[in-house]
Amino acid sequence: MGKLLWEAIHRSGTGQIMSEETFETEFFPNLLEEIRKRHQIEADPDEPVMTDPDVADAVFRAGLDYLLEVGLYCKDTKRIVRFTEEEIREAIATARRTLSFGSGRDAFTISPRAPGDEQHPYTWFPAGALTKNVELYKLHAMSAMQEPTCDGVIPIPLLGVGELKNILDTPTQTVVCQTEARIMNEAASWAGKPGLFFGIPMSAMTPLALMSTFGPGMYTKENCTLPVQILQDMRINYDRFNLAFFADQHGIEPWMSSSPSLYGYLTGPEQGAIEIIAHTLGMLAYSGGSLTQAMCMSIHGTYVGNDISWCNSAAALAAERNLGLPWVCFGSTGTPGSAFSEEAWYETALAGINACISGMEALWLAGGSTGIECRFAGEIARAAARLSPEEGVSIIKQIRSIEYAPTPAPQSLGKLYDLETLQPKQELIDQYRKFTRIFRDFGLDYPTWREA
Amino acid sequence: MATIADLRQKVSETQPEPAAEMTRELLADGFDPMEILEQGVMSGLNDVGTRFAARKAIVLDLVRAGVTAKKCIPLIEAALPRGETPKNKKKIVLGTLLSQHNIGKNLVGTLLSIGGFDVVDMGEKNTPWDFYEIAEKNDADMIAVSVVFAPALEKFSELLRLLDEMEVRTKYPVIVGGGVTTQQWADEQGADGWGAQAKDGVDLARKLLDVSG
Repeated sequence: MGKLLWEAIHRSGTGQIMSEETFETEFFPNLLEEIRKRHQIEADPDEPVMTDPDVADAVFRAGLDYLLEVGLYCKDTKRIVRFTEEEIREAIATARRTLSFGSGRDAFTISPRAPGDEQHPYTWFPAGALTKNVELYKLHAMSAMQEPTCDGVIPIPLLGVGELKNILDTPTQTVVCQTEARIMNEAASWAGKPGLFFGIPMSAMTPLALMSTFGPGMYTKENCTLPVQILQDMRINYDRFNLAFFADQHGIEPWMSSSPSLYGYLTGPEQGAIEIIAHTLGMLAYSGGSLTQAMCMSIHGTYVGNDISWCNSAAALAAERNLGLPWVCFGSTGTPGSAFSEEAWYETALAGINACISGMEALWLAGGSTGIECRFAGEIARAAARLSPEEGVSIIKQIRSIEYAPTPAPQSLGKLYDLETLQPKQELIDQYRKFTRIFRDFGLDYPTWREA
Repeated sequence: MATIADLRQKVSETQPEPAAEMTRELLADGFDPMEILEQGVMSGLNDVGTRFAARKAIVLDLVRAGVTAKKCIPLIEAALPRGETPKNKKKIVLGTLLSQHNIGKNLVGTLLSIGGFDVVDMGEKNTPWDFYEIAEKNDADMIAVSVVFAPALEKFSELLRLLDEMEVRTKYPVIVGGGVTTQQWADEQGADGWGAQAKDGVDLARKLLDVSG
């Protein structure tokens, strides 16, 4: 955190006043489109990945202009917080590029990587399941954590603890999120990774509940971060400031996050990429964070498609060339019941390859993935690390030409895994083998695939 | 000379000021206000909705269409001949549950008023208790709820439970509509009616309150 947090708080009380309706229906959409045109940023609908360095630099400059000209709208005061270019340049210059997470043997350090670097993007797996059953939740977490390619996890929101429901704005949410933290620690110890990185608390939304999960036996500054994410389309509120301040006071790394929705107020992937950069610079200013999770989705509920991958790659490459912050992107499709979904396996691989060739530092897999799907994602990230952008795009285009079989109904963990040994059943191993063979045929290689 | 089809086009193109100007022009030229509302403004809104469903428009277009409609509707309301539709003495409490969205709710309110109902507009961001309290205070005949985002779905069932617990459930038919709702969901919750479009609210109110159209 820096002096800009205090400036942001001050300016949220003195900046230009505007109704939220004007801000969202006229002000930011009109300026964003004007800035996109000014920088001549156009996506090619047939290109799944943006690899052009000049376009990446234009996206960065457009994102900076967008932040400087539009500012951040404070929902609590109806005022706009603006920063100067000098302030933002200083925040960029002083940002931390290298971060360490985890402890003991499970510690790792994220450093900037460029497309084609030998260092693979770290792979953070989903831990838990959407349930109130804490035993089932723990089994899911253990199945992911035991995988050798698990560099860290991001919990799945816990819906309750037995009969106790997770209710927003009440102490039940604190209890549930604290339970999430305790289960993560227990499961990690079982998996032989007691120093594992747990990402961010996921079962809570309010600052009070989020802050309450940091303590002995729960989350710590070594194994977890605190979300300070910007709100949709250049909006903030006082909660962002409180979370940023708490993180700073306790030495916790802020988790900066930008997830624009395409086709809501944004016309397409170009505006999405510009907004991700503007969001990141805004969060950099008020939180002094560094770790950035950036990915878009479509309001039609999908995480796949050329528009999505173009947006994510354009923002990542713009950041890689101009910011050098540790950059995290979504690593799969979010498809429920993904174990036997062709789309999920192919699109997970596509996201992993995209991360490698766009210079990303980490991948976050969606919920619903079992341990063996996580294993595959981790192996893809390692196998594809050294691909050149041209090689990666070639594989991605081949994937996109495949017509996926319809996604079958989801199956419970008990149907997919032997719950006594927590090992995948043969049918699931066969599915994994099928895809390792397919990706060997695409020219990727990983040591354990050779026996396939 | 402008036509109602031209107004529909302006609303569909989400141009608030030109649409309002054209509404004034049409009214001055003697076009039927109800026809201007239904064939011009509402049809233009529907056109944007159709484009959105076909993924040829974005949410911002829907919002801007709503802003455009809001510019036109008060002009039309002011032009409706007083007493053209006799008041039917039935009072309907109308509001949005939890969220701040109001375009659909406002349209329903306008059409109910035009249809002769006495509308108590509670505005936005209401809790289940607000609906109960305002219905009781106003001695209402019916409750109409706009549910526009997912977290409000659960609150709707909470509203029905609250009315049950306060022993007034049978006193108030409850109708619901809004972007995240469906007929099946409304049936499962025990709502007395569900509307896909604003005009459905009037048909439901007439049917449930036994008012002839």
